[in-house]
Amino acid sequence: MISIIKLRMLRLKDDILVFVLMTVMALGFTAIFGASFNSYRPTVLIVDNDNSSYSEILMNELKENNNYNFINSDMDEAVKEVEDGNVLIALIINEGFKESVESGGSISIGMMKLRDDTMILTLQEIVSGITLKMAGGIRIADITADFIKLQSPNINKEDIKVFAYDNVMESWKYKTPINVSSKVYKTNVNSGYDSLKHAMIGFNIFFSMYTMVFGIGTILDDRKYKTWQRMLISPVSKVSVLGGTIIVTYLLGALQIGVLILGGKYLFDIDLGNSVAGIITISAAFVFAVTSLGLMLSGIVKTNAQLGSIAPIVLTSTSMLGGCMWPLEIVNNKVLLFLAELTPQKWAVQGIGNIASKGMGFQAAIFPTIVLLIMGIIFFGIGLKIMKFE
Amino acid sequence: MLVVEDLYKSFGNIQAVEDVSFEVKKGEVFGLLGPNGAGKSTTISMISTLFPPTKGNIIFEGYNILDNPKKIRNKLGVVPQDIALYPTLSGYENLSFWGNVYGLKGAELKKRINEIADIVGLNGRIKDKVDKYSGGMKRRINIGAALLHKPDLLIMDEPTVGIDPQSRNHILDTVLELNKQGMTIIYTSHYMEEVEYLCSRVCIMDEGKIIASGTQHELVELINGKTQINIKTDKIDESLEECLKNISGVYAIKTMDDIISLYGENVDILLAEIIDKVTKYGRRIESIDVKKPNLESVFLHLTGKALRD
Repeated sequence: MISIIKLRMLRLKDDILVFVLMTVMALGFTAIFGASFNSYRPTVLIVDNDNSSYSEILMNELKENNNYNFINSDMDEAVKEVEDGNVLIALIINEGFKESVESGGSISIGMMKLRDDTMILTLQEIVSGITLKMAGGIRIADITADFIKLQSPNINKEDIKVFAYDNVMESWKYKTPINVSSKVYKTNVNSGYDSLKHAMIGFNIFFSMYTMVFGIGTILDDRKYKTWQRMLISPVSKVSVLGGTIIVTYLLGALQIGVLILGGKYLFDIDLGNSVAGIITISAAFVFAVTSLGLMLSGIVKTNAQLGSIAPIVLTSTSMLGGCMWPLEIVNNKVLLFLAELTPQKWAVQGIGNIASKGMGFQAAIFPTIVLLIMGIIFFGIGLKIMKFE
Repeated sequence: MLVVEDLYKSFGNIQAVEDVSFEVKKGEVFGLLGPNGAGKSTTISMISTLFPPTKGNIIFEGYNILDNPKKIRNKLGVVPQDIALYPTLSGYENLSFWGNVYGLKGAELKKRINEIADIVGLNGRIKDKVDKYSGGMKRRINIGAALLHKPDLLIMDEPTVGIDPQSRNHILDTVLELNKQGMTIIYTSHYMEEVEYLCSRVCIMDEGKIIASGTQHELVELINGKTQINIKTDKIDESLEECLKNISGVYAIKTMDDIISLYGENVDILLAEIIDKVTKYGRRIESIDVKKPNLESVFLHLTGKALRD
């Protein structure tokens, strides 16, 4: 087996470019996608059909929210942009908005959208809250101005009203009517979704799979160069040929994942959570599962060219399903979620994500590791069964 | 040294080897001669333990190799028909790997690689990558990889296919030199001249079967030492064949394309009579080729086709 290990190591110099390229691609994609998701602000168009001072106040209040990109628009443009899917939603401030606010009646703001999603629901809450707050402020300012006018008839009521409104709204900025107190148990990490962290985990897993699958695919090179048969009639056993190849591929895969994780930590300052041992355990099981997957794929195809054709299809599609490209939390389809369960990527992303993003400990690594090991054993068994030894 | 008994091998419905038996004696160069597809490679694949026969036995030094193929692999050196090397590694690295596989290491391996580089005449180029070698050099290093562990039996499967005459001569001389040093060799080829040059005993195979075997002299005796005369004329028909067959002293006649091959004794008399008959028959002779009895003639006589058909 030592001779096979030495051979595979020697032949790594042929594949060093692929190794470097995949590592650079993973880091590059992490940087690009992480930064893109972080700076993403959905665009919301505002159509002002009331054209009043109150509608202008509402628009200014909305624009103070940095989670959405609010842009003024007209009705025709808003319809077109929503229909084309270029904007998340268009808000319509209907005519009579000012009268409704002044009379304390029901305020209606129209929304033009193609679908409902979590961002729109959040926006609805924001608009509703700002509108109510603004209407309340105007009502308080109106009552205050009426009262002062009654005490001092010579005073300008409109001036008082504007002054009172500004003060009320200013007060909202620093005081909240309900104070919710909470206690956070120390985790040292942010909980919840972090796009940069997810991008690092997802792309590390995605690109390292290529190195591992094509690493084990060197067996197909042996067939191409006719050295496979020569090995089979030599004293070295079939187990040694496969074992040596698997060991080198495994080490290469582990090295790449290690480089990528350390790259994420030191290049992008990504916090890996509280259990590095957990991340290593999951990564080790994942490398085993993918190496075995590579063995299975190498058994299915006859040449390295065929492997080159099917591997990107298999790896990209399963990586999409498994949540390497985007968080599975945004997927609602039950079929897709079921298929995700069958991919090694899902368990690796979820396991590492739970530790790195949600601050869980080593126990979060146990179940994903077991699943990955079982997958690896199944792929390995199938690979050995279908591998042709003649 | 090696006894092959009643060997059969089928792949699905195809009977690749059928009832093949022969014996290889220690210290000889044994030839397996036959056209492409004759079953030579399948036979030696079974001897070299790549796959088992469907039926039959292979006894190496009194030991049935089918019982435990691993046990004899160290004693065999196999030169496959295809170049079985890693093209992106150097000749040295390739030899080093195959030496490792056969248990050589350290100073012993290094010494042996240098010896092999000498034997195959690649001393100056051994550190070059194999894909920079010419076809002949690749063939030579391919042979070298099988010699590293000093095998008792060297099996060479058409080792000169597709190479230049210079490399071919080098390989043939190397084979003779190895044999002189005591190595037993099985040499397969569809080149009659190579087998005649190298082999003391020969098995002629066709369509998976042995059609003749023995020393070269014994095989030529099969056609009673008859000379082969090949005549090319402008037109051949059955009546001309019939006419030539009736010449006294013509032993056999075969027609292929536009050439008639006749076998007979007393060539000088026979030749004059043949030319006379063909001319009288109104045919124009384009060429006449007289061949002494050889393995090609034997093969032609036995199968009615040429070795390289």
